[in-house]
Amino acid sequence: MKPSKHTRRAFNLAAIAGVATLTGVAGITGLQAQQKTIKVGITLPLTGADAEDALLIKNGALMAIDEANAKGGVAGYKIEVVTYDSGTATAGQYDPAQAATNTKKLISDLQVVANIGPQMSGEGKAMTPILSEADLATITPSSTNPDITDPKMAAQFKPKGKAIYFRTVTTDAFQGPNMANFFSQNLKVKTIFILDDSGAYGVGIADAFQRQAEKNGIKVLGRDQLNPKEADYTTILTKIKALKPDSLYYGGVAQAGVKLAKQAHDIIPNVIKAGGDGVQGGSFLKGGGFPAVEGWYSTNAGPHLVEDPATADWVKTFTTKYGQNPSDYAITAYDAALVALDAIKRVAESGKEVNRSNVRDAMQSTNLKTLQGVVAFDENGDIKDRTVSVFQYKKNPQYPDDDIIHQQKYLGAAPQS
Amino acid sequence: MDFWDVLLQQVINGVSLGAMYALLALGFTMVYGIIELINFAHFNIFMVGSFVALWVMQAMGFTGQSHILYGLPLIGLLVLVLFITMLTTGALGALMERYALRPLRSVSGPAPMITTIGLSYILFNVILLTTGADSKNYSNPMPNIRWDIGEAVLRLREVLLWGGSIALMIALHYFVRRTKMGKAMQATAQDQEAARMVGVDVDKVVLITFFIGSALAGAAGLIFGLYYNYTSFIIGYTAGLRAFTAAVLGGIGNIPGAVLGGVLIGLIESLGGQYLEVRWTDVIIFSILVLVLVFRPTGLLGHATPAKS
Repeated sequence: MKPSKHTRRAFNLAAIAGVATLTGVAGITGLQAQQKTIKVGITLPLTGADAEDALLIKNGALMAIDEANAKGGVAGYKIEVVTYDSGTATAGQYDPAQAATNTKKLISDLQVVANIGPQMSGEGKAMTPILSEADLATITPSSTNPDITDPKMAAQFKPKGKAIYFRTVTTDAFQGPNMANFFSQNLKVKTIFILDDSGAYGVGIADAFQRQAEKNGIKVLGRDQLNPKEADYTTILTKIKALKPDSLYYGGVAQAGVKLAKQAHDIIPNVIKAGGDGVQGGSFLKGGGFPAVEGWYSTNAGPHLVEDPATADWVKTFTTKYGQNPSDYAITAYDAALVALDAIKRVAESGKEVNRSNVRDAMQSTNLKTLQGVVAFDENGDIKDRTVSVFQYKKNPQYPDDDIIHQQKYLGAAPQS
Repeated sequence: MDFWDVLLQQVINGVSLGAMYALLALGFTMVYGIIELINFAHFNIFMVGSFVALWVMQAMGFTGQSHILYGLPLIGLLVLVLFITMLTTGALGALMERYALRPLRSVSGPAPMITTIGLSYILFNVILLTTGADSKNYSNPMPNIRWDIGEAVLRLREVLLWGGSIALMIALHYFVRRTKMGKAMQATAQDQEAARMVGVDVDKVVLITFFIGSALAGAAGLIFGLYYNYTSFIIGYTAGLRAFTAAVLGGIGNIPGAVLGGVLIGLIESLGGQYLEVRWTDVIIFSILVLVLVFRPTGLLGHATPAKS
């Protein structure tokens, strides 16, 4: 009876595929029926170790788009959001290959005229060559690796020449070095050990930090790399303990950061520990927990906004709407969406066709008042404001342990070079 | 820290790592030894075990490192959690064997192994989708007791890890060598047909093999969580790859071999990291694996298995 069983299975498969195709077709017809809709993509690692922070970013961007739609859309266009998850279960965090696949899906839909994302620079590096070919601009609220917008690397990241990677935060070319200045000027650090998590962002920010630290006369006792999937970092921490540095700088995201914080708390409790925006946020705080994260310094590649009186109302609205306190990058994501919507609006109002390349050109000439202040870009797509904020985790027993706003102290902006 | 303190500390680190790999490799290598099946689901059963133990402790009111216990209450709690965890993962492994693998037992070729990969992905994604992807702060009622030896430090949790691994290894070894069920397992390992002819209930033996192997994975999951104060849906991956390597290095199917392989890899990892660089760890481990297999294809303690008809 085996053949018949196989035939039946094959028939079932065919039936499932048929139904899927039918629904797909129905979906497309449904969309075409709606007049004057334009799409904006959101690509973020919503699966994996950084999901916590990615969700806040997504909600920040959605809030701006929802508000615009509630007011009747942008210059007559209803904005539809297409969301893609660039995190995969096998990577356990963002996955550059998935980011590339998502980008191909985005560009294949001609109604998509702008994108918001990615969260991570590792995704950005995989996305930009594809975006450049399609002239589709993306605007990232949190990816800070400087290579992507570096004119020297244009051949790799924007082969068609025009800037397509805009940011509402500054880059690690400032985030790393400004923190190195904070180390030498404010913390008076003399010696340091530097680690990264082997990701694009982690290596980049650790390199930038290291160059400035050496320039400032901090002695770098060693540099090594963590495998983010590994559970055990006792070997490297023992090595660091034996070298007796004043401080440890970690360039990387939460996946390795959480484990590093726990084990470092045990093995090198008295060493000053710091990271970049990869250890700034809920994923690091919740996974690491107190006492492990106590005393860790972190930075944000932008001004500190969520405790700013000027954003208090916005923060309240966000918290009511999504049931969670926003992060600074939820605000830069809101700003990113405002920039994208503003570009669409200017194109539509100028009478030109609302397509990708016109929206990109409009985005380049952005001069928009947002929550963080006026956003404008240089010719590479980088934001002109270069503020880097410094924080320190400090347990506040009055608030829940995972309350990112209250379990850390804002120490001010890091000194610029 | 002088040279000797560092060396001693790295040996402690390496042996601990090795004990973790050995603990994971034990159940895996036992299943292979009996039915020659590479059970990739083993490492995600380990991951599920660490979550089951976490849930049990959370249900009992232990979250994070908030409640610290000492003496008998601590031992009592750990034994209870260990028991529940081993029972749950053991049952999970037995269910998999009964409903997903037994129907394939007469099938030759890679189908059963591929099935274990499939099961592995199911567990992985079920945990991912139900608990979320963020790293979990583990419940840990153990006090942070430490002994200083020069500038090197030995902690209570390292003692727990070593003790746990050695106890489970001895128990497993004794079970396989001395008990009636163990002897039935050995008979099944040598020749299923002949074992059946002399009255061994092969189905039952294989089921129990899976139960025990998966229960050991659950125990390893709890010990992992207590040792690192952390768990995540992804822990089966790297630890699993190393444990698999440990089993192959020691001689797959051989229980003391798994322990030897685990400790060797742990020591290579810690000493290699200290005197070379951590980023070279995988290169060193897998080079040594390849070299060992070139000269001893059956692993350090493995025996050549006679070809089966």
